[in-house]
Amino acid sequence: MTEEIRLMKGNEAIAHAAIRYGTDGYFGYPITPKSEILETLMAEMPWKTTGMVVLQAESEVAAINMVYGGAGSGKRVMTSSSSPGISLKQEGISYIAGADLPCLIINIMRGGPGLGTIQPSQADYFQTVKGGGHGDYRLITLAPSSVQEMADFVGLGFDLAFQYSNPAMILADGIIGQMMEKVVLPPYRPRKTEEEIRKESPWAVQGKLPFQPPHVITSLELDAAKMEENNLRFQAKYRQIEANEVRYEEFRCEDADYLLIAFGSSARICQKVVEIARAEGIRLGLLRPITLWPFPAQAIATYADQVKGMLSVELNAGQMVEDVRLAVNGKVKVEHFGRLGGIVFTPDEVLNALKEKLG
Amino acid sequence: MEVNDIIKPENLVYDKPLLMNENPMHYCPGCSHGVIHKLVAEVITEMGMEEKTIGVSPVGCAVFAYNYLDIDWVEAAHGRAPAVATTLKRLNNDKMIFTYQGDEDLAAIGTAETIHAANRGENIVIIFVNNAIYGMTGGQMAPTTLEGMPTSTCPYGRNIALNGYPLKISDMLAQLEGTCLVTRKAYTPQQPSEKQKRCSGKHLKTPWPEKGPPW
Repeated sequence: MTEEIRLMKGNEAIAHAAIRYGTDGYFGYPITPKSEILETLMAEMPWKTTGMVVLQAESEVAAINMVYGGAGSGKRVMTSSSSPGISLKQEGISYIAGADLPCLIINIMRGGPGLGTIQPSQADYFQTVKGGGHGDYRLITLAPSSVQEMADFVGLGFDLAFQYSNPAMILADGIIGQMMEKVVLPPYRPRKTEEEIRKESPWAVQGKLPFQPPHVITSLELDAAKMEENNLRFQAKYRQIEANEVRYEEFRCEDADYLLIAFGSSARICQKVVEIARAEGIRLGLLRPITLWPFPAQAIATYADQVKGMLSVELNAGQMVEDVRLAVNGKVKVEHFGRLGGIVFTPDEVLNALKEKLG
Repeated sequence: MEVNDIIKPENLVYDKPLLMNENPMHYCPGCSHGVIHKLVAEVITEMGMEEKTIGVSPVGCAVFAYNYLDIDWVEAAHGRAPAVATTLKRLNNDKMIFTYQGDEDLAAIGTAETIHAANRGENIVIIFVNNAIYGMTGGQMAPTTLEGMPTSTCPYGRNIALNGYPLKISDMLAQLEGTCLVTRKAYTPQQPSEKQKRCSGKHLKTPWPEKGPPW
């Protein structure tokens, strides 16, 4: 079947894209503001069409461990949650990273800390790109800023996860999850066969083949020397991802005197800020990181010689701004502007902050 | 009589199962894990399921079960083996999936996963090895530790007023409609009986009751 144009919520787009991308299994637990993903999948009943398994788990912890089991057998599996639920999943995410397994995790962020609010936030940036769970590991992190990207990043996330045998996360906020936009859904592609899995993921547990050593999925290695080797292997993989997979978008940066750095829904608002500022004669540009890890540090550093200042605009108390500062290494002034706890800024607020902090 | 005259098939009283490899076991002398591993290995071979079985090993002493039985394994986080097994089975329906778990793993940190996997009627087998203490971490109190039984975290014996009662997890699971079968047997380091073998292995391939899910 071919692609299809629909009007839907970001959360719904993820569910439809997952079915169409040949996903083998989704395992999730309800939480606002992302419940439509599980609800849409249950309503679509993909087990009757593509054979995709959809299961409401008894907990966030069980859901991520169901993903671990599916990923261990080489299947395309995913889960989704919102901030407090993602906190519960961190142990499982660390195990998945420690066992070199590919999977897709979606976080539709809400305001925290604690139970917080159900309104949108970007306060899980640190948790996602700096680790979250225990140990030295990284998540490939994609930050969609439209419903279209919610759909597109399901496929991209799975592709990157399998290419590098590493968990990938779509880090969106409640706005992107809940807002409705036009979306072009991708054509259907078949789920992988057992033969294809054996070829593409030769490490997968599929039942031991005759005269072959058994496969074991584990993150355990009690010999510290061997565990260091494992860690060095992870780090080499992360350097490779950093070298090859940085993605970002530039909006009117070519002649910019000032630069906004923003991702997700903040970047959508910042586009408007750029237009208003330009109408006032301020040459403002926007750099939108699409991958939060690997972070577009080099691209941002390049602009340090061109612009007079950068403003990191985030729905949090200042998280990505630390990576922007590391990228420019003191060459140019970098400030942060954000609203907290579920409040979303207006374009005027951002522009005023720019004038006040960098003017 | 020469040794070779004695080693004949008709005199054989013990044979190492084909699925068990040469790795020396790390289990303590007298521990029944070795006996139970052997029984599981024997039954998988008898069923001809060597290439269609995936085991899920737990946290604790049996975390290294994958070092001794030459089948595919997934090592699960503490208590999560039934969740891991749930997906392995649902996404690989032609495979036989079992978990191998101790008492703290199954009945303390993983109580929810155990109960819900059973309640959903997952077509998996859980082999629950209960020694009433935490083994690998050094003999701490487990949910199944008996009243008065001393452990390193209840050195004067389990005190019901302080620690509550031993959890009757198998009895609880037997109450659930999704559970197909709960059976239990004591294991000793002596040569296992046919009954014990049936208990650990026969039900590995328990047929799905007539109320299977749509996948």
